[in-house]
Amino acid sequence: MATVAEKTNVWEKEVLLNGCQAVAQGVKLANVDVIAAYPIRPYTEVMDALSKLIADGEFDSEYIVADSEHSQFEIVKHASSVGARAFGGSSGTGWMYGFEALVVTATDRLPPLFVVGNRALDDPGAFGVEHNDALALRDMGWLLCWASTAQEALEHVLIGYRIAEDSRILMPMALAMDGAFLTHSQHMLKVPTQEAVNRFLPSFDLGKRVLHPDNPVSIAPQVNEDWVMELRRQNWEAARRARTIIPEVYKSFNDIFGPRYDNPFFDEFLCEDAEVVLVGLGAVKMPAQTAVRRMREQGKKVGYVNLRWFRPFPHEQLRATLGRMKGVGVIDRNFAIGSPDNGGIVVQDIRSALYPLAKRPVVTDFIGGLGGRDMSIADCVRMLEITLDAANGKQGDELVTWIGLRE
Amino acid sequence: MIKRVEVNYRGIFQKNLGKYIGGDIVQIASRMGKVAFSNGRYSDAPERNGIPCKYFAFVSPDLSEEELEAECGAKLDIDEADVSVVVDDTMVKGVEPWGWHGVRAINEKVREKGCLLVVSQHTHDNLLQFIPRLPFSWRLASVEGPASLAGLWVYKDDLTRERVLGAIAAVDPGIIAIEAVEAYLLERTTDKHRAEAARASYDATLRNIRVVKAGEGAEWHHEIPRLPTWKEFEDGGVVVPAVPRGFKMGPRGQTRNDAFKRGTTKSHRPVIRFDLCIKCTLCWYDCPDECFDPTDDGLYDVNYEVCVGCHKCAEVCPVPECIVMVDELKFNSDASPWEHHKKDAQGYIKWAEEKKGLDRIHYPHVTGTGMEIREGKYVPPKPEKGGAAAGAKA
Repeated sequence: MATVAEKTNVWEKEVLLNGCQAVAQGVKLANVDVIAAYPIRPYTEVMDALSKLIADGEFDSEYIVADSEHSQFEIVKHASSVGARAFGGSSGTGWMYGFEALVVTATDRLPPLFVVGNRALDDPGAFGVEHNDALALRDMGWLLCWASTAQEALEHVLIGYRIAEDSRILMPMALAMDGAFLTHSQHMLKVPTQEAVNRFLPSFDLGKRVLHPDNPVSIAPQVNEDWVMELRRQNWEAARRARTIIPEVYKSFNDIFGPRYDNPFFDEFLCEDAEVVLVGLGAVKMPAQTAVRRMREQGKKVGYVNLRWFRPFPHEQLRATLGRMKGVGVIDRNFAIGSPDNGGIVVQDIRSALYPLAKRPVVTDFIGGLGGRDMSIADCVRMLEITLDAANGKQGDELVTWIGLRE
Repeated sequence: MIKRVEVNYRGIFQKNLGKYIGGDIVQIASRMGKVAFSNGRYSDAPERNGIPCKYFAFVSPDLSEEELEAECGAKLDIDEADVSVVVDDTMVKGVEPWGWHGVRAINEKVREKGCLLVVSQHTHDNLLQFIPRLPFSWRLASVEGPASLAGLWVYKDDLTRERVLGAIAAVDPGIIAIEAVEAYLLERTTDKHRAEAARASYDATLRNIRVVKAGEGAEWHHEIPRLPTWKEFEDGGVVVPAVPRGFKMGPRGQTRNDAFKRGTTKSHRPVIRFDLCIKCTLCWYDCPDECFDPTDDGLYDVNYEVCVGCHKCAEVCPVPECIVMVDELKFNSDASPWEHHKKDAQGYIKWAEEKKGLDRIHYPHVTGTGMEIREGKYVPPKPEKGGAAAGAKA
């Protein structure tokens, strides 16, 4: 998040909210029409907070508790198809259970927003953060971004709907946030005024595709080999367009709420003159940036890239920033077992993005924080040191290091 | 500088209390111009009744939000506590929140000169019987009163929250100042009694802070389990070896999982008068945790290491005064009561009646129904004013 510039007329007083409650505030401000809910930690508190807002009379929305994630996601999809602004969410294996519905929401080109409170994939039972649940969407025609603070989570509900519902995009949006460290941490947050939100977020219009008695249409008929490739190509094209539309939306957000986001796709922290950077998603930003600051005090030219958008992947922008570096260390809070070089998921895309460059930085990978294990400032210092060593030729560039593993 | 507060609370029964105190600290500190945030030990959150859990609040007068978050937010547990609040004093006997974690000392995180602040009706000396010694000097303070216990969706608004805030201001004004506590409570609730309760608790706490010297306190005999490295356990080792089947007659006769005993979950324990027992088997049959060990004389011994204090046995026992729940802090041993009774029946009965006492109100917090004993006699519930029937008509 960029520095907070105050535009007092667009913010209410600061209030105490945790990450889940922040998302609920965003849903309320987005004036969502239909919410479908089914509990699983850490997402559960989002639905709790929404039901409380509705029960307290602060928010009017259709709230449906489903019998499973699969039904929940189907309800969200169908609500979206009748032109309702719809919201859902889940975590971990619950998210995976509803996956069939998630996939067809994208191929039906409907734009609801889902929050993913990142959680490890059971078995064995684990509640803590791991990014595999949300990352499973990466090839499915979804918009996918990570919030690194609760404030960002609130704002990205609004930003997310605006992008997803843009008639040039019409893709479902997944807003991921680290379970526990983000979802269940209480902070003083700024809540935007409804008036300012209304200026930023127009009402949802599905246009000619809306399912309505006055507009009889058939959605998702059997099409087989005659149509599928063309539909995929349309979807592909929408994701391509999103790369140019996303910056427009952030510009509009900054215009109304103050210059909060310098770069929509990722934040650069002390990257300008850096030789080595770490790249990560989500809440690890806090310890990573503090580690960078400490190493800067020792004269080390290091920085941090907080990757916000994963789909569409900002390869051109990352190429420009990371291409200047001697070394790049990728923090993978996920596993990609059996993948090239036995690394994580994020490193594969970063490596691919950098490959066309004539002069490429050395890329190292770190797997850590799985199942909710903490990643401390000291862990981040260690990752920076390993990346510095790799950049200086002391390690091979196929290095994958597990951080915080009991060895 | 960072000030760290932890709130030790009982899962479910004090879930909201813990979270509210954490959130209150953040709001009061930010009114004072400080940076603060609050979170819980997330692994605690799939709470079960009575399980010891923790909520945290972090306050800094000089760090940025990002630095404070980096130091404290990305961690599962607190490094050290300036103030460890304990909202149910029976947790001073130790806390075991989950498996493979061990029974931990309640003052494990208290730093040198830090404070353990306990909601309790017991004296400091009494509490120190159970709290292990530390290699440095620390402080013990209390908020006088019974543990505030409520249900999952319920918050018991009995001023414990306000009184704890006042007491925190007394033991460490660097976290929150009493004036800010009062101003916050007045503004949030427009109820001056809440601010007055915080101030009264502040005054009372200030008058009664005990400095505990290095080495003063109880022996501690619980070890922290060492978790194996990834090479040390079986490949695919998510399969936890089963507890062997079967049991032997007699105390501790049942086979059990040593990785998680759960005895620190209870705030009351069942005291059993074996001489009154009619051998109906209901306690043994209904105990959700299979804590009752059948003995060869047809009785049922109770294993206090694994009893979670759920009150079920006391509720199903058909014999008045045979199973009675008693404050866990009145006991310093988990030894078999049946063996005690076997060795010296009269001595045991006398001991049990002493523990039960002549005056007690027993309201299991799960059902809310219970009984009152005054001067050793059962007091029938008073009819509600106007009567239930009148209420129904209205």
